[in-house]
Amino acid sequence: MNELFPSPAAGMFGRRLKREQGHRIPVTVITGFLGAGKTTLLRRFLGTPEGKGTAVVVNEFGATGIDDVLVRSSADETVLLGNGCLCCIARSDLQLALRRLVVERERGELPDFKRIVIETSGLADPSPILQTFATDRALGELFHVEAVVTVVDAETGGDTLGWSSEARKQVILADRLVVTKTDIAGEGAAAALAAQLRALNPGAEILEAVNAALDPSRLTEPANDQRNAFVAEATHSDGIGSFVLTESTPMPWPAFAKAMDTLMALRGPDLLRVKGFLDVAGCNGPVVVQFVQHLAHPPVELTAWPDGNRQSRVVFITRKISERQVRDLFAAVRALV
Amino acid sequence: MPAASNPLTQTGEPITWNFKLLAQNDLGGFGGMGEGMAVQIAKDGRRIIWLAHESAPKNFTGVDVSDPRHPKVVVQTALPQAHMRSNSLEMTGDILAVAYQTQKTGQQPAGLELFDVSVPEKPRSISFFDCSGATSRGVHQLWFCDGEYVHMASGAPDFKPSNPLDDQFYRCIDVRNPAKPVEVGRWWMPGTSATDNVAPPPRHPLDKGYRAHNTNVYPDRPDRLYLCYIDGGMFVMDIKDKANPKPISHWTNSPPYTGFMHTAVPLFDRNLMLVTDESTENSAKDWPKLIWVLDMRDETHPISIATCPLPPVDAYANRGGRFGAHNIHENTPGPTAWKSDQIVLGTFFNGGLRAYDISNPYQPKEVAAFVPPAPKGSPVGAIQLNDVYVDERQIVYTMDRFSGGLYTLEMDF
Repeated sequence: MNELFPSPAAGMFGRRLKREQGHRIPVTVITGFLGAGKTTLLRRFLGTPEGKGTAVVVNEFGATGIDDVLVRSSADETVLLGNGCLCCIARSDLQLALRRLVVERERGELPDFKRIVIETSGLADPSPILQTFATDRALGELFHVEAVVTVVDAETGGDTLGWSSEARKQVILADRLVVTKTDIAGEGAAAALAAQLRALNPGAEILEAVNAALDPSRLTEPANDQRNAFVAEATHSDGIGSFVLTESTPMPWPAFAKAMDTLMALRGPDLLRVKGFLDVAGCNGPVVVQFVQHLAHPPVELTAWPDGNRQSRVVFITRKISERQVRDLFAAVRALV
Repeated sequence: MPAASNPLTQTGEPITWNFKLLAQNDLGGFGGMGEGMAVQIAKDGRRIIWLAHESAPKNFTGVDVSDPRHPKVVVQTALPQAHMRSNSLEMTGDILAVAYQTQKTGQQPAGLELFDVSVPEKPRSISFFDCSGATSRGVHQLWFCDGEYVHMASGAPDFKPSNPLDDQFYRCIDVRNPAKPVEVGRWWMPGTSATDNVAPPPRHPLDKGYRAHNTNVYPDRPDRLYLCYIDGGMFVMDIKDKANPKPISHWTNSPPYTGFMHTAVPLFDRNLMLVTDESTENSAKDWPKLIWVLDMRDETHPISIATCPLPPVDAYANRGGRFGAHNIHENTPGPTAWKSDQIVLGTFFNGGLRAYDISNPYQPKEVAAFVPPAPKGSPVGAIQLNDVYVDERQIVYTMDRFSGGLYTLEMDF
């Protein structure tokens, strides 16, 4: 394409964008265990000026009664339970609900909206939702997940994390963790929970929301900037750990792509989330890369490095894959490409 | 029939997607705007946008947009005759060129007027170039970007079209001495002059005329004219010898499309061209009117490779007025226009203003839309965005055909 219709303004990943979402509609995913306070938090947000123009998709049956905003329950769709895979059914349901929102807005049948908040069912592992945006080309073209916000109840959250692998997954995949009910739980419990959360997900920003009061920007701001302060190598009982791969010299794109292909092919299910900025040889701006298990989001080149620091930094959240293994793989591939 | 009592009338929710509306100004109640927009940096540093009106009584309006959040009208001039319209204007430096067209052939004044607007509050006429004639309606559109030549779609007293609707053709006017404009060249589509020994072209069903519309010339290729010829299609013209313009290639979509080809904007670095149709019929009766993307690697052989997608016609057709393509931001030469070969911005009447990402020219993607509510006083009950201009600050200016005046916006994508 670049040879047929060249342009100095377009890099190898197309037109450079001011921000990662480009023209796409920002999506915030709110997860959290049953009773953690997701709906209360969302209601408060919708009442703020920042919450104006938010379309809400509730991925759970029976969640109604949020006033003055558009509420869509994707469970309203008739779901054919037939193929046995609940995760896939939930996804197609969500896909339909999201597409309908866009089509109806385009036709002028819905009030204009600026962003979408998906409130997931308490029991849900959020990774299928993230995968949806990576695999559905039509959806990925229209929407961009800006932040995964997980709500944890200070009173019972610690226990829940102990027995529920879904709850742990929700915490591990979060960009931001919002701890609720700290006034009820008391300081000791809140501090213990914070330590537990920090161990599971050292990169996430941990926020407290007393009476659901939270700075609305924490639900709307892209999560990129949060990812610079990752603590290297943190592992816990599930074998899940996270680390940041940094690199000061420009990376040839084929080397990065081949290394990630190999990782996805060999250990896709254990590659829970990979996201970061890459200094790609031949590109001006940082290239945002994102992977969820065996799926890759299309890379996006931005116009400028957010903090002027031209260093590749890619966060890995993995299960039983060590930083050393990934580093060695990248080094080996770079040497060969 | 008033829009409100028409059972077919639809309404739609307004959309502001990836644009940020900064301000709207109804221009003192004369907000029916045409298709001429040019930005001047005045001697005192003010940024003035000059706007053409769709029809009488106003001639042109100058608006101070130094602060695009607070546009202020600095001058608004009147036409001497109700049968005139000055739908098009363009400027270089402090000289503003204005096109005068009349409702009927034979009426006056019809032609080109140059103004000195070095004091924006006091436009001063420099000269008038008469284009009136028994078979002429004067000038519909002009291009004036190098300070030397006005390229325009105009009739002439000495031109007799083979069909009365074909009165406007391409004329090149030397204005290097702005006090004495002189015609240096002209070209018409073969068969449209009564003196041609070629058969006149076959009429289209809507029959909007075989006449020139946009006449764009860019400093990248000063020897090329990109000419759209309403029912006749797009011509790439060699104007190295201004006295003797020669067609290099021709591309048309009509028939089977319904004519009214409007603007051709070459994207030189990318070997591409954008060509627009104009929707001229209410209720989308001339649907589809589109922005076309052409592969121009070989300028002698333009190939259409894509169009910019529009929302469903059934959701817009009966909202009132027209729905379909018209003007696009033309990368006007000069320091006060944004230059973009990645993003296309176009106006679509009741379809509002839309922006497309053409980084992959085979698959233009809509990336932003602005469909404001019907402006106060709109006779059709819907927005009718007519023209768009983006300045080098990337502030977007668009205007309504009937009453909404000027809208200023930021791109947010």
